[in-house]
Amino acid sequence: MSARRIVVTSGKGGVGKTTTTVNLGAALAKRGKSVVLVDADIGLRNLDLVLGLEKRIVFDLVEVVEGRCQLRQALIKDKRFDSLWMLPAAQTRDKDAIDGAAMANVTEQLAEMAEYVLIDCPAGIEHGFRNAVAGANEAIVVTTPEVSAIRDADRVIGKLSEKHLPVRLIVNRIRPEMVRAGEMLSVDDVCEILSSELLGIIPDDEEVIDTTNRGEPIVLDPTKRLAAMYDKIARRLEGEIVPFTNLDQRSFFDRFLTGLRAG
Amino acid sequence: MHVLQSDASITPQPAPSRSRSPQPRGRAIVVTSGKGGVGKTTTTANLGTALAQRGSRVALVDADVGLRNLDIVLGLENRVRHHVLDILEDRVSIEDAVVADKWSPTLHLLAAAQAREKDDVDTDRMRELVAQLCERYEYVLIDSPAGIEKGFQNAVVGADEAIVVCTPEVSAVRDVDRVVGLLGSRFTPQLIVNRVRPALVKKGKMLSVEDVNAILRLPLLGVIADEPDVIVAANKGEPLALRADSPTGAAFRAIAARLSGEETPAPTVSLEPDGFFGKLTSLFGGRRSK
Repeated sequence: MSARRIVVTSGKGGVGKTTTTVNLGAALAKRGKSVVLVDADIGLRNLDLVLGLEKRIVFDLVEVVEGRCQLRQALIKDKRFDSLWMLPAAQTRDKDAIDGAAMANVTEQLAEMAEYVLIDCPAGIEHGFRNAVAGANEAIVVTTPEVSAIRDADRVIGKLSEKHLPVRLIVNRIRPEMVRAGEMLSVDDVCEILSSELLGIIPDDEEVIDTTNRGEPIVLDPTKRLAAMYDKIARRLEGEIVPFTNLDQRSFFDRFLTGLRAG
Repeated sequence: MHVLQSDASITPQPAPSRSRSPQPRGRAIVVTSGKGGVGKTTTTANLGTALAQRGSRVALVDADVGLRNLDIVLGLENRVRHHVLDILEDRVSIEDAVVADKWSPTLHLLAAAQAREKDDVDTDRMRELVAQLCERYEYVLIDSPAGIEKGFQNAVVGADEAIVVCTPEVSAVRDVDRVVGLLGSRFTPQLIVNRVRPALVKKGKMLSVEDVNAILRLPLLGVIADEPDVIVAANKGEPLALRADSPTGAAFRAIAARLSGEETPAPTVSLEPDGFFGKLTSLFGGRRSK
């Protein structure tokens, strides 16, 4: 068994990489998949907080690379899903503490243990980005419908193509009412500018702030609308053909037309 | 006139109008956060605009080599011809590389190189550049990239003051806390808490400014509420600090006043839920705070 190794990246920070990694990981685990989440943001780790596992950290990625512990010892099992694991980043070290070869090696080993390895990339395109990408064979680029985020995503997609990694997009924090008012780029605009395949659309939802602060992935609560959206992304990742949620609540007729065009 | 600093890299220009009399050195302030997407670039653009609108000469430096965005937020992306690395590598002078702002004549932008890497920046040269800018401008605001790698170090190296931008989220607070540690004892960073949603704070679903600063314990420079017009303004390239009717703009003008040493009321956002009264109170500059 060798897992799919997917890096979640964006260029720009704060667009939702960690939230996406956690919720997608949890959505896959909910479907019975075995998943390891890797925090590649050495020095500025946050994946542990968003999963609510920060108090359980004993060893970290850098200690694994430096041979100071076994990989298995550093993995932390999620509180809620038996098949979800996390490999935390070191907090008091630099990104230079490991190199791409070491990261690729760790990712290879993790790929023998699980079906999915999701790597949460740091912001930027420096050493930390190169490490995160080193072990991946697929990429998810998260962006928001803002000119600056799209410009950064474009730059990152260029770097990923140099490495021949297949790229799929998640457009995060869409506000349908702003798109309708012409104040925000639409998902179609974003996909066209970046000429990349769409994997998912996530609307802006203030619930995420609260669930993130509490360390509870939003997919745990099936009554939340975002839970269904992450589930859909997980199914698409599994190869299912799942229609995209139409966030635009114009009229029935409009939706009907859009459906026709998309179909 | 050239006694204090070795001005070797200044190209011979016909009688520059600056420095008729010796001027005090400008203030070099880095805007940083650790975490990305918390509002560093928005803060840099708006604070620079607000300071320039007060009559100060201001240089904005985009230190995010490879992922520049300050030009977009200022609406100057089509006017950029040269970048910081062109100066550091002696291809152009500072005067040739700066882009004058569309809205505020005393505001100048130094763009980052987009097709280069952060490792290309020589840290010592970056320090020299900021020092040279401080001779020409009253404020030099340096927009740091996210993270704590080489790009962060280059952004910080020439600065003598730091503003840290944080949002009311545990992950952002943790990152800022780490950055404050890395900045070390050379700096006493001042804090801007950005994207506060008073209605969520009231419901207990968001950290309050007090919660954030109970952890960070920094001098509070400003508080900015989360408003959708920030996204629109950034996409349009028109800083909100120019708009008299924008609460966000007012918040940045208050920060500029505070930074200039003016006595201003303590920074806060109204805890009134959004709505007519919430808007009304923010129009009155958040007087009901306290």
